[in-house]
Amino acid sequence: MKDYEITIGIECHVQLATRTKLFSEVDNDAREKEPNSCVSPVDYALPGMLPRLNKEAVKMAVIAGHALNSEINLISRFDRKHYYYPDLPKGYQISQLYQPIIGAGYVKLPDGTKVRIEHAHMEEDAGKLSHFAGYSLVDLNRAGTPLIEIVSMPDIHSAAHARDYCKELWRIMTYAGVCFGDLYNGNMRFDVNISLAKPGEPLGTRAEIKNLNSFRSVERAVEYEYKRQSKLLDKDEKVVQETRGWSDDTGETTSQRSKEEAQDYRYMPEPDIPPIHLTKEFVEEQKAKMPKLPEDYREQFKGQIADDTLEILLDYQPLMGKLDELARGDALRGPAGPEPQASGSDGRDSAAGPRASIVKRVANWFASVLLAEEKSAEYLNDLPSAKQLDDLAEMTEKSELSSTGAKEVFLKFFDPQMRNRDAREIAKELNVLQENDAGALEKIVDEVLSDPACAKAVEDYKAGSEKVLGFLVGQVMKASKGKANPAAVQPILKKKLSK
Amino acid sequence: MQIASKELSAVEMVKTALEKAKAAQEKYSVFISLNKEAALKRAAEIDGKIKNGENPGRLAGVPYALKDNFLSKDGNTTAASKILEPMKSPITATSVKKLEDEGAIMIGRTNLDAFAHGSSTENSYFGPTKNSKDAARVAGGSSGGSAVAVALDIVQFATGTDTGGSIRQPASFNGVYGFKPTYGTISRYGVVAMASSTDCVGFFANSAEDIDLLMSITAGQDPYDMTTLPDYYGADFTRGDALRGPAGPEPQASGSDGRYNATAPWDAEGRRPTGPRKIGVIKDFDIKGDIKDALDKKIKDLKSKGYEIVELEMPTLKYALAVYYIVVPAEISSNLSRYDGIRYAYRNSSAKSLDEVYGKSRSDGFMPENKRRIMIGNFVLSSGFYDAYYLKAQKARTLIIKEYEEAFKKCDFILSPVTPNPAFKLGEKTDDPVSMYLEDVMSVPINLAGLPSLAFPVGETKDGLSLGLQLIGPRRSDKALLDFAGKELK
Amino acid sequence: MEITREEIDHLAQLSNFSLEDAEANALGKDLNQIISYISQLDELDTEGVEPTYQVFEMENVWRDDEIKTQEADREALLALAPEQQEHQIKVPKVL
Repeated sequence: MKDYEITIGIECHVQLATRTKLFSEVDNDAREKEPNSCVSPVDYALPGMLPRLNKEAVKMAVIAGHALNSEINLISRFDRKHYYYPDLPKGYQISQLYQPIIGAGYVKLPDGTKVRIEHAHMEEDAGKLSHFAGYSLVDLNRAGTPLIEIVSMPDIHSAAHARDYCKELWRIMTYAGVCFGDLYNGNMRFDVNISLAKPGEPLGTRAEIKNLNSFRSVERAVEYEYKRQSKLLDKDEKVVQETRGWSDDTGETTSQRSKEEAQDYRYMPEPDIPPIHLTKEFVEEQKAKMPKLPEDYREQFKGQIADDTLEILLDYQPLMGKLDELARGDALRGPAGPEPQASGSDGRDSAAGPRASIVKRVANWFASVLLAEEKSAEYLNDLPSAKQLDDLAEMTEKSELSSTGAKEVFLKFFDPQMRNRDAREIAKELNVLQENDAGALEKIVDEVLSDPACAKAVEDYKAGSEKVLGFLVGQVMKASKGKANPAAVQPILKKKLSK
Repeated sequence: MQIASKELSAVEMVKTALEKAKAAQEKYSVFISLNKEAALKRAAEIDGKIKNGENPGRLAGVPYALKDNFLSKDGNTTAASKILEPMKSPITATSVKKLEDEGAIMIGRTNLDAFAHGSSTENSYFGPTKNSKDAARVAGGSSGGSAVAVALDIVQFATGTDTGGSIRQPASFNGVYGFKPTYGTISRYGVVAMASSTDCVGFFANSAEDIDLLMSITAGQDPYDMTTLPDYYGADFTRGDALRGPAGPEPQASGSDGRYNATAPWDAEGRRPTGPRKIGVIKDFDIKGDIKDALDKKIKDLKSKGYEIVELEMPTLKYALAVYYIVVPAEISSNLSRYDGIRYAYRNSSAKSLDEVYGKSRSDGFMPENKRRIMIGNFVLSSGFYDAYYLKAQKARTLIIKEYEEAFKKCDFILSPVTPNPAFKLGEKTDDPVSMYLEDVMSVPINLAGLPSLAFPVGETKDGLSLGLQLIGPRRSDKALLDFAGKELK
Repeated sequence: MEITREEIDHLAQLSNFSLEDAEANALGKDLNQIISYISQLDELDTEGVEPTYQVFEMENVWRDDEIKTQEADREALLALAPEQQEHQIKVPKVL
């Protein structure tokens, strides 16, 4: 097999998280609802029905545009795209071809690669078909759900980057609050265009893999297509320009429709909807609502949280929000506490800021304790307060807790019985507070050293065997019922033994 | 408008109308369906209100006819087509609701060219409606049934839709008033769409005053139609923008409420008055015979009343028909895509595959003229032809609109024929679609520009055929235009 | 320009009509007449002219994002369907 350069462009459909549909006032969230229970006469396309534009969808599109670093086109219009399918009641989809609302922008991937956005436009979703022997059934609950379709430039050149791009889009759209991001329910769908070329040669013919709904299937489909197309090219055969479907089960793409018989969509400006003419103020107003995006957090926590840990945590906006709260530190110490210092010139906390170690500690609990829990998805909905986490980190920092003890307390934050209690209260209840008091520890050490059972060990140590120190520390721990801080015990032991 | 009272009950009025409707049906085919039971029940309710001293509404007990492309829960909405014949709507159109809230009673649904595609009502799945003056001739169309229902005095008013002349042409073929308002004045919600950018709801009645009343009831912004104007009185027009003459200063609104007042006197200093003074006549149309005589007579009459006649050169108007038969079929092909046999109304029973459901239901359910227009629409929108036809036509439309804007700098209203000829014979043009389209040459430019226009009767030919003219105003001059017509065009 | 029978068939397909031969031929004759008429627009100079798609000058007509009860509910809508099953519209199998 020869080496080919792969070029990938991705179109992503994002369902907007509005309460109602794009053009009618029925519930836009049809999950767990009966078929056709979220359908208005407009969605059903009765004669004489007209669209009624949802302002919130326009606002969300503007926010999405900002999140994509895109220009917002102040004037935009809708167009009709015509084709026949039982899940498309009007016989056309209201979309934006000629004057879309979102212009050129870019998305930055975790490794810094930029993928340019060609444009993004608003449109309505179609309904759903289910197939049975000899017939199909039409459910229009999803018909009319607002979408934005984000069209990338062909800037992606590997399966991993294709996956990263889709995942980053997913993060951006959910962080921006414009999409629920439930991939299982089709909140985001990806169409991937793939073409191969020999290095330095112009792009080859592309195939489009439609309707992928997970990052993993995007990556696998690209890998599969690379193999399929390179085999064809090796044999000097042609790649057909076509739409292909992906099966997660077989791990293969199969031909659906060749572009030669491509549909003629007969786009036409939508005469039932007046143009959208946004003011700069309107656009700025939406921009001001934008929460921090993954890229903002990367900048904020760079050098503070390990890169791989950060990338794991970035999948969970609530966790990043909590870390942000901890980093800001305001309102954590109560009225008497000192102001947290903002050391960056832009007012941001620098990586080396006074709260860095707290943030790092909590980030590690999130990544290695919380996310390892079976019920982590549930826990994410009800995170402990920043105050609870801050106290716990502070206590651990001061060695009032062992790291094991801290984890125990941390997990109790998710226990309905203990949910609202202070870290210290929980630590007391679990009896995991460490003994750090030198006087108290010396007393225990003296007891242990005078225990005849330890005489041999003391002798060995004095004869130069350092490793018995561990044994002695263990004995002290045992005598303290586990509450002594081993780090504090060791110097005391050494001091006493060297006498 | 004759409304019900203690002396003349709504039930009596409705019964009379229903009887007349029945009597006329065989000869003229005015109605597709009658609404007897529901109408009588409504009438009894209105009479109850009158008896109890409650407000029965401004149209209390007035029987009216509904063009059968308006959705209403009463009866089927067929659009005179096979494909919608079984359509029992769960929705009532906004305009119908407003009429009925004022006590009007729908006694029947009138015939039309299927989906309002046509100028003669011959394209109806239920057969043609006949002209009220000569049953061997066409009623005009597409709102032929509604025009004839008023002309035969079955009802005092009827609804219509006007996409390219569908109210004004049958009105002038039958000697009644027919009004097409400024685009967006009355909600299109619940009206079977033909061409969204030119469709207008309007009325047939016996006077401009009656139409004014109907407009004041039905006009206004509708949350269910994004292309509705705030009101019918035309805020822009009253500001004088549309009436500003070439040299004059701001006209004054003389009504105390700041609204345009058509009866305001001339300004003593010779400034532009707030009332219309100048009537434009288009030189570019080739007008002959009876229609020319009627126009000349009306011009003379207006001159004698002190109005100045301004000759207008409007060379782009001759392209309006070509523009219309590109833009409108494009929108038709799109709007009629939803009639696919899937979700409602007619599905061909022999269809086995999905393709057959589509293909057979649509081929079977549409009339030949529907098919022509859908196919032309798909032609002008299809790849390779879009720029040359559709886009070109929308550019030409801009030029037509500009030509009207220029014209309304020189005059207040434009007086024009509605059609080149009076009603033609049944079957005369059915084999030649283009000759049928040419009937619309003087009516379609108004729709392309979204202007208001009133067709009004001006007598008869020596054979007794109705003659009509139309008065066209600037956008949103509807109220002023109807006021003027009520006073000066009788 | 003259459109061919092949193009008529293509337009019929875009229109989702299944036409018998005779009807297709008759429609073809009419369409050619109509196209010949509308083609006179060629002679009008529209260089540099902006198209007009709507004769309605308002902009930003939109509504609030609030769920409202609809005039026709699911049962009223599905009652219109030629065939339904389990609250869904039934169609021949989509291939």
